[in-house]
Amino acid sequence: MTVFTPPASQLDRAAGPESRPAPWSGMLWVTWRQHRGLLIGVSVVFCAAVAGLLVTGLRIHHDYALLTACRPAALPACQGLSTFFNSTDWHEGEYPHIAVQGAPVLIAMFAGPPVVARELEARTYRYAWTQGIGRVRWTAAKLALLGSLLTIMAFAISQLLTWFFAPFMTTQQLTDLTPTVFDTSGLSYAAWTLTAFCLGVFLGALLRSTLPAMAVTLGAYVSLAAATWFYLRDHYPVNTFWPMQLFEAGWLLALSAALIAGTIWLVRRYAA
Amino acid sequence: MNVLTLPAQPGQDTAPRPVPWRRMAWVTWRQQRATLIAVPTVLAAVAVFLVVFGLKAHHDYAALLNCPLDQGQQSNACAKLFSTFNSTDWPLANTVGILVQLAPVLIGAFAGAPLLARALENGTYRFAWTQGLMRERQAIAKLALLGVTLVVLAWAFGELFSWFFQPFLWTEQISRLTEGAFASSGIVFPAFTLVAFAIGAFLGMLLRRVIPALAATLGVYLAVRLGAWALRGQYPVTVVTSNANQFSAFGTPSQPGFAWILSTWYTGPGGKPANQSAVGQLLEQYQSNPHPTVSVGQTLAEHGYTEWNRWIPPSHYWPMQFIEAGWLLVLAVALMAGTVWLVRHRAA
Repeated sequence: MTVFTPPASQLDRAAGPESRPAPWSGMLWVTWRQHRGLLIGVSVVFCAAVAGLLVTGLRIHHDYALLTACRPAALPACQGLSTFFNSTDWHEGEYPHIAVQGAPVLIAMFAGPPVVARELEARTYRYAWTQGIGRVRWTAAKLALLGSLLTIMAFAISQLLTWFFAPFMTTQQLTDLTPTVFDTSGLSYAAWTLTAFCLGVFLGALLRSTLPAMAVTLGAYVSLAAATWFYLRDHYPVNTFWPMQLFEAGWLLALSAALIAGTIWLVRRYAA
Repeated sequence: MNVLTLPAQPGQDTAPRPVPWRRMAWVTWRQQRATLIAVPTVLAAVAVFLVVFGLKAHHDYAALLNCPLDQGQQSNACAKLFSTFNSTDWPLANTVGILVQLAPVLIGAFAGAPLLARALENGTYRFAWTQGLMRERQAIAKLALLGVTLVVLAWAFGELFSWFFQPFLWTEQISRLTEGAFASSGIVFPAFTLVAFAIGAFLGMLLRRVIPALAATLGVYLAVRLGAWALRGQYPVTVVTSNANQFSAFGTPSQPGFAWILSTWYTGPGGKPANQSAVGQLLEQYQSNPHPTVSVGQTLAEHGYTEWNRWIPPSHYWPMQFIEAGWLLVLAVALMAGTVWLVRHRAA
């Protein structure tokens, strides 16, 4: 029997494209397919929030311009404007502010845990993690795509909210360092959203079950936020706005990186 | 071949009997033990915090009881006590109060949404619903057992929170009848928990997926809370009065709390509607005087105006609680009936 066997060196070259890992760009499509519910939902809410903040914000800024232009301030007509601004306009400004503050909690609960935990729960990781791209790149690509999208959206919303809320800083006598304002301005909001997402993903990978991960992530995120509000911020080495923002964004970013590293380590450890 | 046959005995019942209800208690425990263990554990942990912090708050509050609420009448020692209380105890209590508002929907959504939806999502309903116990009975038993457990736990937690929050009702001049305090006390807090649970179970059957049902439960519950808030001012317990002086009497800690003033309007001489801007100017003039010699009511009376208030006295707290808990209970039962109907009529 004659068997043709090419020499070993030729075998390597002849192995062809199957031995190269699949390209990263393939993960764009996979992430879209697997998470289109999340991506569509978050995009719809984002667009609605931008539209709402723009429309209401323009009206509030218009009313505030009228208020500041009204002189002398003791005139009954100007007092009337002031009363109106502090009641009707303040309500229109207060509730969106509260809603935006609550968004990272919802991100922590709904966006993070299903990313890895759903595969583990449904046992589809046996298929997904044995594809050409490999489980580490699979997870890293998904986290990078979803995480950066959420962070960019959060940053945009926080900048828009800062513009939206600017008139109330004077009328409600708030400062940049008031906790509710500090949370939603500068880099803080985007950093908290990213941390919320990474916390959810890590706990999902750790607990391997979506619903318990959602509950635990909620508890962990609320505890972290409360600890920061009531304790940590008092012990920062700086106490003016931008240095504090940079410090907070810094440690939140470090925490997010650690959580992502932890997630990838867990993903590597699981026997498929 | 010899075959032994026994004729059918007339007294024997050969029709299959449905499985007795008490078996469902065991099935519910096995299926729901994660929820049934986790919810009491989390509530107990928060309860420990409430007890520890609440004892401190009550201790600080006892020192304040002899001080008047009106800042203009406080001595230096009283003002200092109040300011310490408002900077150390109140911010944390306020945050806890806001989080407790979320407790009913979180408990209800996490317990209710996966109740039936998880079996549908996993496909295990094909096994579970074809057991000896009919599918409607399974659903009714699970809803009833879990519903009763959650109501009892929520009621106990609500009572503890009411005790915790009681000092702040006086120091922050919050009426027990207003949204935050009313919905987290008495029988309305467990009623909201039950409604959230019922919404979760119903949406779980409707949407057949756990996480969309969870998200939808949060949205629907928010709508129910806002609706309850809007409805509360329409309950047939309001009083209209022209005696505005009685409101200052609610400031002492021995009173059952502050009244809820729904609206204020002014009439001129002879009961005719007053010129609002004229009244507004008069009030601003009065408020700009730091040491008034007469009360605001007298000032208005001198100009022929009468202040009318539509308000709810704090003594009407329990009638309002019963009205609200009543319609919430009806809503919850209707949703559970809808859930059982969906179980019966959905092939899957």
